[in-house]
Amino acid sequence: MDQTNKEDREGVSEGAFVFQSRPNRSLTQSQHRLAFWSLAGSCCATAGGFALLGYWPVLPFAGLEAGLLAWSFAALRRQDGNYETLTIDGDKVVLEWCTGTHRERREMNRRWVCVVCDCGTPGRNCRLSLRSHGRETRIGQYLSDEARLHLAATLRKKLRA
Amino acid sequence: MSDAATDHADHGHPVHPTGIMRWLTTTNHKDIGTMYLWFALIMLFSAGTMALLIRAELFHPGLQLMRPDFFNQLTTMHGLIMIFGAIMPAFTGFANWQIPLMLGAPDMAFPRMNNWSFWLLPVAGVMLLGSFWLPGGAVAGGWTMYPPLFIQGGVSYDLTILAIHIMGLSSIMGSINIITTILNMRAPGLTLMKMPLFCWTWLITAYLLIATMPVLAGAVTMLLTDRNFGTHFFNAAGGGDPVMFQHIFWFFGHPEVYILILPAFGIVSQIIPTFARKPLFGYASMVYATASIAILSFIVWAHHMFAVGLPVAAQLFFMFSTMLIAVPTGVKVFNWVATMWKGSLTFETPMLFAIAFVCLFTIGGFSGLVLAMAPVDIQLQDTYYVVAHFHYVLVSGALFAIFAGIYFWLPKWTGHMYNETLGKIHFWFSVVGMNIVFFPMHFLGLAGMPRRIPDYALQFTQFNQIASVGAYIFGFSQLIFVAVVLKAIRGGAKAPDRVWEGAEGLEWTVPSPAPYHTFETAPVVK
Repeated sequence: MDQTNKEDREGVSEGAFVFQSRPNRSLTQSQHRLAFWSLAGSCCATAGGFALLGYWPVLPFAGLEAGLLAWSFAALRRQDGNYETLTIDGDKVVLEWCTGTHRERREMNRRWVCVVCDCGTPGRNCRLSLRSHGRETRIGQYLSDEARLHLAATLRKKLRA
Repeated sequence: MSDAATDHADHGHPVHPTGIMRWLTTTNHKDIGTMYLWFALIMLFSAGTMALLIRAELFHPGLQLMRPDFFNQLTTMHGLIMIFGAIMPAFTGFANWQIPLMLGAPDMAFPRMNNWSFWLLPVAGVMLLGSFWLPGGAVAGGWTMYPPLFIQGGVSYDLTILAIHIMGLSSIMGSINIITTILNMRAPGLTLMKMPLFCWTWLITAYLLIATMPVLAGAVTMLLTDRNFGTHFFNAAGGGDPVMFQHIFWFFGHPEVYILILPAFGIVSQIIPTFARKPLFGYASMVYATASIAILSFIVWAHHMFAVGLPVAAQLFFMFSTMLIAVPTGVKVFNWVATMWKGSLTFETPMLFAIAFVCLFTIGGFSGLVLAMAPVDIQLQDTYYVVAHFHYVLVSGALFAIFAGIYFWLPKWTGHMYNETLGKIHFWFSVVGMNIVFFPMHFLGLAGMPRRIPDYALQFTQFNQIASVGAYIFGFSQLIFVAVVLKAIRGGAKAPDRVWEGAEGLEWTVPSPAPYHTFETAPVVK
């Protein structure tokens, strides 16, 4: 997972705590382009060769395949936009998360927020949530157990401060 | 946990459907991998039964059990189903099960597409098997679908073309899933050159599939339009060129051979270091050798066509380029042997199959080098020598690697150790049976016995009888394999997380059996 832990961020006041995490992605944007064009290019070049010889029915299948590849890689790019952000700014605690085109936001009062960290089985799926007004919201979905424990400790400190 | 309401972008997983709906709607890579493997097993037994019928007919010279046309249907469908229905889906099953586990990914990149790519396969399988009951029977022109025979057949030929399109679509979707998963979902720290070799071989295989599947789809579509819409791409009567079909088909077909064998290389490269208790010798050279084999596979296709009357320059080019493939293949065999050298070897069933793979696949490779020589190939074209060659590659190569892989990962999948004694019995019957079937075929081919003919001259009788006995030993010994798998599914000694002492990799860090959801958060690889 990619994480950023910024103390200042656009739209929030100076000194606010912002923690953002994203799903693990091992492909950079340039590698993304390289992978797509190497795949689409090789199948279209082959089909083009056969089309030049008069065997054009290979071409539409290569086109369809390139289209499917383009859709798949575009879908990957869309997934790359998933994120989870936690902001502690003055008295406000704001949680925002985005999955595909679905975005949600929850705002809580800092004084009523309680960090719940349930690590019943060590090493196996720690569950980290913020609880306020009887509602619990899970956070840290893109983090490892160690990172969740670390985030829980940081949040407790920040919320007390 | 408190009784507070919980929300958030759900990592709480929805309740799973049960019964048949679980399998129809599943997007879980383990479920889909399991379905691929069961489908492959059913197809293996279907096409294996056809092989036994072929060998029963060939036990004696003359016609014993069937009409020649039905014999040709059996040989054609045996080839098509084994390649597209058994070997390829089995490797895709391994890919589904193992790639996310090896990469530390929670699932494949496109789980729903993964479900579709599996469920297309049974449709195509039913079409292929069902064509036996159509008027005129199943296709009988050979798995290579050469015109003019393929242009002249009955309705089953159209159905087979449709089935091939469906299986091609399934392969393309599977390949896109595998490529995107491997490239985009590796755990932090797991660079490409740290990736398990099985993932590397599948990445390259998926590239091959993407590059060649449109060519196959185009070729069979041209056959379809020649048959039904009055075009003359390959119909000599209308000015078409039947030899061009062979060029187009083998431009797909030779990379297809590597599509069938590269994942086997990957499986063996996981198993040998585990039981030698040493890291794989020459990891980087293995990766480059795999890539070299894949690239070379695009420039050797016409070695299947030496007998059509290629110009001498073309014969020389394809002869030497084919021989060139022996270099990266030799690198691989050397590295496997070097990995075993001075290792603390133990000989559990997966290792036995892996060692048999190395030895017997090498025999298949050498007979391939013999066939690569144009003057020799012209003599041996369409004889049993060719049948012996590709069965050494595909049975003791691809199929033995599949057996090895199943024994290797079965405890991780089921949570139970398999019965080692039964596994070894299965191994010895398989390895002995396989050699009894296919080794005499070299002699039959050298003596000139043609393939795809239900009758033969008297002097070939003894070798044919030996081969038929071997076929029945090999065929029925596969029931032991089914028994071993079923026994392990039903119970047995509890498998630890790290099943084998020398096993390395992320898949051995999860419990046995692997939980339904694994690596929901990515592990960090040092």
